[in-house]
Amino acid sequence: MGKHHQNLLNNLEELRKSAGLTQQDLSESAEVSRKSINAIENGIYVPSTVLALKIAKTLGCKVEDIFKLP
Amino acid sequence: MNYFKRFLIVFVCGIVQILFAAYSALVLYGVSIDWHINNHIFMFIPGILIFASSGILTASYYFGDKKNNNILYDEYTALRYYKIAAAGYALNGIGIFILFSIQDWSNWNFQNANNMIYQIAAFAWLTFGLLLTIFSIGDYKEYKNG
Repeated sequence: MGKHHQNLLNNLEELRKSAGLTQQDLSESAEVSRKSINAIENGIYVPSTVLALKIAKTLGCKVEDIFKLP
Repeated sequence: MNYFKRFLIVFVCGIVQILFAAYSALVLYGVSIDWHINNHIFMFIPGILIFASSGILTASYYFGDKKNNNILYDEYTALRYYKIAAAGYALNGIGIFILFSIQDWSNWNFQNANNMIYQIAAFAWLTFGLLLTIFSIGDYKEYKNG
């Protein structure tokens, strides 16, 4: 697990790297800014449901694999 | 629209507001800088800039390239703009309350009223000017450096 938001644990950085994607690649696929991906990975920002689903779709996994409640 | 153009638009709005706030503060405190805005229509410049900039950004959001806009106006950026607006309104609310409180209402005259308008304008310009300038620089630096 990476750095966490107080209300949400995330595994995004690990999954992204294992998929061989850069933050830029992921941001382009999910149609958001690279800053957003960076902010989510660092636990600064909790994404909307739509964005979480887009990220999960890009990484080929379920939203629950990326995000978990503490 | 791109990050640099947005930075430029927001930064210019912020800096102009700070300059007008500084000018108003100097007028209020009677400091002469050997330069005066004789035509008060010029005092509308910060407001006109904000209207024009908002118009340009809104038009680019609705009519610009969709793919580009998904990145430029994504939800994280929107959240930060909301936070800036909320901070600005809160600070202005507190500031205007204080400015109303410190007026000499028992000895009210046209000059006092005029001064209060300058005080409110200077405070509001300074608050939003600083917020916009700091935000625009931070936003662009993040885009460049992550």
